[in-house]
Amino acid sequence: MNLERDLTRALRRTPPPPGFAGRVMQRIEREGVQARRVRPVWWRAAAASLTLAALLGGYTAHHVIEQRRGEHARDQVLLAMRIAGAKMRYARQQVHGIGSER
Amino acid sequence: MTAMATEVIAMPTVLARARGGDHDAFAELIETHEAMVYSVAWNFFGDRGKAEEIAQDVFLQLYRNLATIESESHLLFWLRQVATRRCIDVTRRSRLKAVSLDDAGDLPAREHAADPLLDKRLRQLVGELPDVQRAVVTLRYQEDLDPAEICRIVGMPVNTVKSHLHRALQALRRKLESH
Repeated sequence: MNLERDLTRALRRTPPPPGFAGRVMQRIEREGVQARRVRPVWWRAAAASLTLAALLGGYTAHHVIEQRRGEHARDQVLLAMRIAGAKMRYARQQVHGIGSER
Repeated sequence: MTAMATEVIAMPTVLARARGGDHDAFAELIETHEAMVYSVAWNFFGDRGKAEEIAQDVFLQLYRNLATIESESHLLFWLRQVATRRCIDVTRRSRLKAVSLDDAGDLPAREHAADPLLDKRLRQLVGELPDVQRAVVTLRYQEDLDPAEICRIVGMPVNTVKSHLHRALQALRRKLESH
């Protein structure tokens, strides 16, 4: 017995009962099946370009905001240092004044 | 393979017409491929009603997705893939098992059927295989596809397909010998 040959014979294609195509077409009509539309290549390219532009724009905006936040933080640190420096100078002058009075 | 090549060459414009909304052309496409799609389901379930229902569903899905079909060879690949995967899905969802020998009924006369009883027994045994093995055996022997082609349809590595085939043949031999 040659199993593979027997399988080829046993599993050979067999046609469906007559009128199969007609029954499928009837179902298409009855169920109102709609063919999907595929968007053209240019549409896909345009969508990809828009997505890329949005991503780049978002990244740039994010970068600018972060840069501004950094600059603001730096300014605040410098201001704080200036205030602290002024206070230190004032305190030193006071200490120096008390020392010279004695 | 020669028969399939002839099918493909014989309908160079039918697909384009069907894609353009020509219902007669779509009916022609069905007639060209109905035996293949129906047989995948028939060999999978051994149930005419189920095979008809699945084959109809596959062509309805084709109708919806006709615009994505690029060529006649793509169409053939798509139909084999969708029919096979649908059979596997239906089995997994309903856990349908092969029908009994009595329910399987007789096939229309086949010119090369040397032993109709053996054919029937083989179809029944194939129907008892696990779903993926059943699909692989059907594609191998009904569609005459090699493991490299089958792996694209079932979405598995080629070695897994070979392993399923090997195990299926072993199981079939064992069952045939035990009767």
